[in-house]
Amino acid sequence: MTFSLLSLIALGTFAGIYVGAIPGLSVTMAVSILISFTFSWDVYPALALMIGIYMGGVYGGSRTAILLNIPGAPAAIATALDGYPMAQKGLAGEAIGIVTVVSFIGGFVGILSLAIFAPLLADFAIRFQPRDYFLLGVLGILLVGSLSGESLVKGIFAGALGVGLGSVGMDPLTFTERFTFGTDGLRAGVSFVAVMIGMFGISEGLMQLHTLNSPVIKQKIGRIVPSWPLVRKHLPLGMQTSSIGTVIGALPGTGGDIAALIAYDHATRVTKNPEVPFGKGAVEGLVAPETANNAAVSGAFIPMLTLGIPGDAVTAIMIGALFIHGLNPGPMLMVDQPDMFWFIVSSLALANCFMLIFGLTGIRAFVKIVEMPRAVLLPVILLLSVVGAYAVSNSLTDVYWMLGFGVFGYFMKLYGYPLGPVILGVILSRLLDDNWRRAIISDQESLWMLLKGTLMSPLSAVLFFSVVLIFVSKTPLWGMIFRKRAA
Amino acid sequence: MQTKQPRRPGELVFNLAMVLGSLFLLWSAYGISGFEALSAPGAIPLVTTAVMVVCGALILRDTLRKSATTAEKLERDILPLPVIVTILAILAYALALKPLGFLPTSFLFLTGLIGYLRGGSLLRAAIQSLLIVALIYLVFRIVFTVLMPPGIVPEAEIIAWVKSLFAGGGT
Repeated sequence: MTFSLLSLIALGTFAGIYVGAIPGLSVTMAVSILISFTFSWDVYPALALMIGIYMGGVYGGSRTAILLNIPGAPAAIATALDGYPMAQKGLAGEAIGIVTVVSFIGGFVGILSLAIFAPLLADFAIRFQPRDYFLLGVLGILLVGSLSGESLVKGIFAGALGVGLGSVGMDPLTFTERFTFGTDGLRAGVSFVAVMIGMFGISEGLMQLHTLNSPVIKQKIGRIVPSWPLVRKHLPLGMQTSSIGTVIGALPGTGGDIAALIAYDHATRVTKNPEVPFGKGAVEGLVAPETANNAAVSGAFIPMLTLGIPGDAVTAIMIGALFIHGLNPGPMLMVDQPDMFWFIVSSLALANCFMLIFGLTGIRAFVKIVEMPRAVLLPVILLLSVVGAYAVSNSLTDVYWMLGFGVFGYFMKLYGYPLGPVILGVILSRLLDDNWRRAIISDQESLWMLLKGTLMSPLSAVLFFSVVLIFVSKTPLWGMIFRKRAA
Repeated sequence: MQTKQPRRPGELVFNLAMVLGSLFLLWSAYGISGFEALSAPGAIPLVTTAVMVVCGALILRDTLRKSATTAEKLERDILPLPVIVTILAILAYALALKPLGFLPTSFLFLTGLIGYLRGGSLLRAAIQSLLIVALIYLVFRIVFTVLMPPGIVPEAEIIAWVKSLFAGGGT
């Protein structure tokens, strides 16, 4: 590891934190842009920069989730649930401090897992059947639907809308047009980034216009580095959710977003008496998603390096970068070029350390953003949102989509529909569609055989009953049964 | 378990639009491949839109059960003037972005919107906007090399001039 590589990891991590934090900029976008101008570089410096941006960006998404209630990335959706209420109480510094430390812990657990358990976890992931991926997708949408809104029905509606939006365009298997209404513009589908920026950037900006004249909360940032007793208190939960994050991150097609949501749900179930209720600023609500999404970063490398299957969008781009440099990611990469594997592991470890340093030292300047007058901040957020949407494909069509989804998301928020499930639905649409079709084709188009196969497989059965349990536990039926038993 | 919150202005219309929109999408999803097969390209769209119709109907039923008496007003609590002005400003920004270019459009957008939302001196809003646009341009156009419409600004010449400055400094 030379000084120049070390500098590139540090630069990437620093830039990643701000890329992840600025609404409208995504890690995926930054890494894909990086490919174009690291094309002529050697593979190691190119990877060093990308890994830094990836690690910093996943963490950076939490900043705007806490300060502005706008998750910088989907992986920070769950962080906003308790992070923003903390900022509203003037505890943004404490929230970012604990998030930085637990992100480091989560990242460290993920890296250790990658180094030690990569072959074992990859072996576990490869046993997943298409029906398991399908059930995992349903589980993710159901979880976010039940967690982020006032009603499960509205959450399911929003999730279904997202899956529907994700299926707009040409079906990749049969080239059949879906929801295109004969227009050319819809054949390529709806840009996910435009939907995300519209729903989270524009709609939040419009919502905040309602409170334009409310006094800005001065963020008390007396203590940024969390106390050891506070960290120690949440360490057991952090270790559990780091493990969840690593395993979920290792499943191809899933990533930090699902890992964070599942970890958040896990925290709500295992934390009996939080000091502050979940959704009102519970520290556990920050620890769980942030350990999980940073652990998922390393988890995502496991199938990429051992199977050649990307764990998420960023590792998919990195596979492209490796191809450009004449490398073939897959089982043989670890055999033929073990240095590459250890270079990635050590780069992740260094990026994780830089994330801790930059995260804890840069908060005071960053927190100043929320102390800016909203009348100045909101137009800037809206401008960045437009720029971000335009930058996806240099097309104004995406800007119009973003505006349309922004206004639609604004009304959805006003009338109590959660927006998280829409985004998750769009992300998971392809995974759900592909794996449903693979599963039902392998079971000869028979629902009965599919159900039988699900119940016969321990893994599928666990996932299936998890879906049923989460659905039932959020319905009035559950409450009725338990009231009856209590009586 | 239900909270008897009053119905918000426009809530009934919005939820009704959701049901009607979902029905239209269900019909469109049926048009993809009908009930051809469980693995057909229209299978997942058909299920998701059917779920939307059922959920939309349940939401509409709950909305109808809510009390219509509320202290909220549509023009104050749902669509206040700053929201309408901001939506129109973003639309105007998108329309002017290509012909005028990123730099002048962004400057006008920020100056106008900051001036309107904050009130007070337009000159102060213009100075703030100038600094913000310069910073965004530096990060997006120069660092991330994101292509923005140049419009009426001779951007290529400006970038060539900046590069020549650095080239000159290097020799």
